[in-house]
Amino acid sequence: MKKKILLLTFILSGFLSAQVSFDAKVSKKQLGINERLRVDFTMNTDGDNFEPPSFENFTVVGGPSQSINNSWINGTRSFSKSYSYFLAPKKRGGFTIGQASIEIEGETYKTLPIKITVTAAIDKPKDPNDPDYIASEKIHLVAEISNTNPFLNEAITVVYKLYVAQNTGVRNWREIDNPRYSDFWSQNIDVKSVNVQEGTYKGEDYRYVVLRKTVLYPQKTGKLSIEPLSLDVTVEVPSQRRDVFGRSFMSTVNRTVSSRNRTIIVKPLPENGKPEDFSGAVGSFDFEVTTNKQSLKATEALEFKVSVSGKGNLKLFRLPRLVLPSALEVYEPKHSEKVNTKATGMQGSINDTYTVVPNYQGSYPIPVVSFSYFDLKTKQYKTINSERLIIEVDEGPKNTVSPNSTPSGLVAENVISPNSNQFSSFKTTTDFQLITTEPFFNSNLFWILLLAPFLFIPFIMLLVKRRMIRALDVTGNKIRKTNRLARKYLSEARKSLGKKEQFYNALERALHNYLKSKLHLETSEFNKDKIEELLLGKNVGSDTLIGFISLLTACELARYTPLSTVDMQNDYKKAGRVINALDKQLN
Amino acid sequence: MSLLGFSQTTVSFKQANALYNSGNYKEAIGQYDAILASNQHSAELYFNLANCYYKLNEIGPSIFYYEKALLLAPNDPDVLNNLSYAQKMTIDSIQEVPESGVSKLLNKTLNSLSVDGWAVRCIGLVFLFVALFLGYYLSHSEAKKRLFFISSSMVLVVLFTSLGLLFRKDRIDKSTNPAIIFAKETEVKTEPNLRAETSFTLHEGTKVLVIEDYNQDWLKIKLLNGETGWMASADLKTL
Repeated sequence: MKKKILLLTFILSGFLSAQVSFDAKVSKKQLGINERLRVDFTMNTDGDNFEPPSFENFTVVGGPSQSINNSWINGTRSFSKSYSYFLAPKKRGGFTIGQASIEIEGETYKTLPIKITVTAAIDKPKDPNDPDYIASEKIHLVAEISNTNPFLNEAITVVYKLYVAQNTGVRNWREIDNPRYSDFWSQNIDVKSVNVQEGTYKGEDYRYVVLRKTVLYPQKTGKLSIEPLSLDVTVEVPSQRRDVFGRSFMSTVNRTVSSRNRTIIVKPLPENGKPEDFSGAVGSFDFEVTTNKQSLKATEALEFKVSVSGKGNLKLFRLPRLVLPSALEVYEPKHSEKVNTKATGMQGSINDTYTVVPNYQGSYPIPVVSFSYFDLKTKQYKTINSERLIIEVDEGPKNTVSPNSTPSGLVAENVISPNSNQFSSFKTTTDFQLITTEPFFNSNLFWILLLAPFLFIPFIMLLVKRRMIRALDVTGNKIRKTNRLARKYLSEARKSLGKKEQFYNALERALHNYLKSKLHLETSEFNKDKIEELLLGKNVGSDTLIGFISLLTACELARYTPLSTVDMQNDYKKAGRVINALDKQLN
Repeated sequence: MSLLGFSQTTVSFKQANALYNSGNYKEAIGQYDAILASNQHSAELYFNLANCYYKLNEIGPSIFYYEKALLLAPNDPDVLNNLSYAQKMTIDSIQEVPESGVSKLLNKTLNSLSVDGWAVRCIGLVFLFVALFLGYYLSHSEAKKRLFFISSSMVLVVLFTSLGLLFRKDRIDKSTNPAIIFAKETEVKTEPNLRAETSFTLHEGTKVLVIEDYNQDWLKIKLLNGETGWMASADLKTL
């Protein structure tokens, strides 16, 4: 009993697992009024009481014709039964083919209604069974463009798909005309294997293969056309003839298919907020400047790497140039690219590597480099600044005595050369001066100091000249000279003029002094007789001699006799005269 | 009063030096600037100020103050040495026009003294000449007279040469005002307006000579290699 139930369950489940399907299929959903339409109602389990829809707006021109397909494959049975109708539309417009119904195992199944559009009459080929005509209807080459309104330098992808209808086949194809993407930077992406995929073309089921993918970067703004791709395709189409099993013989046709000429409109990048250093980079990027050494010795090499990484038109813009202090020796940068091109665009990084050799010590600030790009996500320009780098060069070549000059065998350590060109430190002392000092040049003082010394020359010359004139005047000169002599010797006497004793003492001293200096006498040898003798020996005139002696006598007498001021005056004058006369004669 | 002022500035100079020595370059700059604001300066002050800017890697002000120091002390070896350090930081390398031997010698002699230095030298020479000439005039012996005459006429020649150099130096100083570029980067135009073509680009720290100005916004400049152009006056600072 138990076994029977189990068996029944198996059988039932077998029936249940083979799901019943009942579908309606049309040959085309859009047709001209002069065309015909075929409708198939297919079921996978036999049923009864098939009721077709009413087919209003259509005339049934053929059918219903029944066909049954029954096959066993690997022990699995597949069954299909279909009712076919050929319909001709009565008028233009959108119509619906209603539901058909059938009873299968007591259940009633219904198909989905199908919408059909009837258009105006189309040119009907002369022979609808012509393989060329069939091929042209069944094979389509389509260029799909990811974005028909991109920005300048924004990546777009063109995918070429070959659509093939279900009952036709393609044996092989050959590209006969490759599009030249002028005004674009383009790169083909290899399609490694041809995968047949299911898809629809204009509402009908088709199989398609992706033939090629191309990434394009528009290089011009405005309307740009993408040239069509043309293929020579060998197509197999079903012919009218059938074999014993009722299958159509396939006839082979060569056909040229082309994609349509497509036009895209390229938007220019906005002028608003465009940075000055913008060099055409579009996408999303990272930017940095790096160095492998921050401090080094002079004549060692270091490298600067300017790199941009990210997604965008990497190969289509120039990296910003690194500007370096002129004291650094810089070699031409080495450019390297690591860019993968995928269907979505270029991705990777580009670098410029600068080799730099500093020759002198010092610190070298590397100016900040900025890189600007247009960000497609935010539709705005962005600028990235590099970090500020400072390179310290510690030892300069001038700084140390070159090792070659040290004596052989000795290793110079810590040589301190006298003319070290180190950076000098601050100065500790200073003398301040006022900033706004008037310029000395062109000031009054300057001109006075410059010219006054020249005025000094004629002044001195005048002085000297006067002295020379005086020197030439002999008699006057002599008078002046003796007067000067008298003044010299008699000055004391003159001071005490009027005081008798003092006057004559001074006078006597003056006369003696005069003689002493003139005749080189010693005081001890001083008396009148001696003087007389000496003066006679010098050929002094008697008048003068008498005068001199009388003066000396007067000096002696004056000590004992009263004398008036007038006498003193006379004696003073007489002394002057005598000295002058003596002087002339003694010369 | 002024003596008191000077001693105060000496104190603050010392304080600024201490700040410099401890590495507080920014504070030291403030202190040095305060001394400048009190209307006093010296070559050493400018030198220390320039050193501070050098340590902070500010090329423009550093070179500016070294040049200022050189105006007061044209031959100071420390200033010349550190200026060459600062000039290594600059981006522009301007090849000076090669001069012939004579004009090189002339320029070297001219630049060895300031205008006032030349003026003082001329006055010294005048006094020397007058003294020697009077010596010639007043001396009696033949040998002395000859010696004085030759030396005084030689001094006269030197005097007139120096006077010529003095006036030439003054004229050159008045017609060419050296200036240092302070902007990081500036464009030198062919005409004094923004629409004009850019003839070349200059960077911070480059020394130019200002020849003339237009509307105070634009200056005609001359590079040391002889090239000329117009640039915005805000981008540079005259010495």
